Amino acid sequence: MADRSLTRAVVRFATLLRRQSLPITPRQAIDAARGLEHLDLGDRQEVYVGLRTLLVTRPEEVAIFDRCFEAFWRMRTEADAVAEALAGPSPPGEAPEPPVDSQGARKERLELEGWGDEEEADEGGEPLGVPVASEAEALVTRDFSTFSADQLDELLRLTVQIARRLARRVSRRRRPVRRRGRLDLRRTLRANLTRGEIIELRYRQRKRRKVRLVLLCDVSGSMDLYSRFLLQFLFALQHVFARVETFTFSVHLTRVTDYLRARSYREVLRRLQDVRDWSGGTRIGESLAEFNRRWTHLVDRRTIVILLSDGWDTGDPEVLATELLRIKRRAGRVIWLNPLLGNPSYQPLTRGMAAALPLVDHFAAAHNLAALRELADRLHL
Amino acid sequence: MREEIRKIQALMEAAEYVTDAPVATSVHLALNLRKPLLIEGHAGVGKTEVAKVMARMLETNLIRLQCYEGLDAAAALYEWNYQKQLLHIKLHETAHRAVDQEEHEIFSEPFLLKRPLLQAITQEQSPVLLVDEVDRADEEFEAFMLEIFSDWQVTIPEIGTIKATHPPHVILTSNRTRELSDALRRRCLYLWIDYPGFEKEVAIVERKVPGINARLAREVGRFMESLRRVRLAKVPGVAETLDWATALAGLHADHLDETLVTETLGCVLKDADDIKRFRAEVSKGGLSPFLQASS
Repeated sequence: MADRSLTRAVVRFATLLRRQSLPITPRQAIDAARGLEHLDLGDRQEVYVGLRTLLVTRPEEVAIFDRCFEAFWRMRTEADAVAEALAGPSPPGEAPEPPVDSQGARKERLELEGWGDEEEADEGGEPLGVPVASEAEALVTRDFSTFSADQLDELLRLTVQIARRLARRVSRRRRPVRRRGRLDLRRTLRANLTRGEIIELRYRQRKRRKVRLVLLCDVSGSMDLYSRFLLQFLFALQHVFARVETFTFSVHLTRVTDYLRARSYREVLRRLQDVRDWSGGTRIGESLAEFNRRWTHLVDRRTIVILLSDGWDTGDPEVLATELLRIKRRAGRVIWLNPLLGNPSYQPLTRGMAAALPLVDHFAAAHNLAALRELADRLHL
Repeated sequence: MREEIRKIQALMEAAEYVTDAPVATSVHLALNLRKPLLIEGHAGVGKTEVAKVMARMLETNLIRLQCYEGLDAAAALYEWNYQKQLLHIKLHETAHRAVDQEEHEIFSEPFLLKRPLLQAITQEQSPVLLVDEVDRADEEFEAFMLEIFSDWQVTIPEIGTIKATHPPHVILTSNRTRELSDALRRRCLYLWIDYPGFEKEVAIVERKVPGINARLAREVGRFMESLRRVRLAKVPGVAETLDWATALAGLHADHLDETLVTETLGCVLKDADDIKRFRAEVSKGGLSPFLQASS
């Protein structure tokens, strides 16, 4: 049995970590307390390394852990008031909800929030996959920049359709089938056990497997007209389809997967306010480089990488080409969606676009629902 | 430092593994808390080696489960030897034996193919179970493994439940080609092995490449250190360092120069773009920037 004060210290430390968004499970906390019995408590470095082994589960968490450990160690030697102060501020996730029309909010944020309200309004039950009455052809071909918020149901429906298509990739695992495929000895033998002779053969075939989606969404100023739609699209995609990783970029890259995991769209918007440089300039190449440095492990042959951007890039097109090539080498498919492509007079001549085009498997518009529907047909690997 | 940890460090050193406090502490905790240890790190930093050394240190068996895409329970846990069963039935066809006797016979241990996980729980002494490159297996398999790890028992319908009397020490390694599930992570102790620092790398080279010139070893260490600071597509790991050092020692080199490095570059850099980039760097500024100590 661990020393009681020690156990309490561990529990408090775990609480501190949780507030800094490291989800420490009770089991881990118990193990940490047990672990301390096996460590030299006088050796700070050893306690640090030990607790890190016990409580951290991925390299990204180390920085947070280090900060907390530093603070906690200091706190333990000083007055408890410090502890209170440190544990005091509530994390961003629990922050009181800002009023919808808070002053000083940027234009697009206000717009997005207003949109969120409507989403909230009809959020009675299951928001996704609910069939809508009818869909006017006008709606399908209308450019998103002229889209209003009340036609989102169709969008959601389409997203569900896209997700279903994505779920049909063949896996190396095999599943039983009626005929054809490889002989399944295990099941054949079982089926014929009582017969003394192999009469009925059983087969198995490759199982279909799910693909992963990585979405990289341009949220720079030039994409403003489309970004509120795209964001909704990302949110919906993430909800019907578990294996989605979403990033936004303009000057920097931000992983927003966790923000989009919120239950309501409104909450998503609130969380996204933390994301900086929404509607700034664009440096696609540098953003992709950052993606390649930190997140390559998310991309493999079963991954479809989708870039949503108009290609207006203020960075170096050569960097863009190099980094995109790097992604292409790893990914199953790279798709570039460009809302401007919907305009018949548009030519992909921006320097960034010109550099990227040869490297993209599929280049398509994403300006209206018809374009998205076409995309759905393209999404099986 | 705790005496046990120092002892582990000494034992690992004795087993030809140059270690440091984090590795020794993690192993110490994994042994004492009897929890799986998940080791992540770049390719070639010696993740797998930890398990091997642990087995040598504990003087026990190392059972290795190499993961790959499509790995399933039949390949990881057990499978009946169907071909053998069929042959057996055919051979005794004329004997006219009772069905249940026949069945009992063909579903017994001689017809059972024990795969690594089952092997691991039927040992006389707790073995070290190495689940290598777990990120290559798919998510379904992860869930299956968690189930096994939770109580170390396996039920084979025809034989019954086998419970481990000596649960294995588990080491999992991952190269992060895929993000592992939180469920798995939370059940493991976690160790991130980074590229070694200069001193550690030199120590590793001197330990593993006996007879290497001391100056050469230090230069190799410096070179690798600066090389890893350049942004490369394939950053060389310790495995590359050792290959290279062995090659250089084989050439009886006692220091690094431009020709030597260019000729043996293939041991270290394994990406065409990286090699091109490195050549350009060297032709511009020579080799000396790579041999200077870091600031």
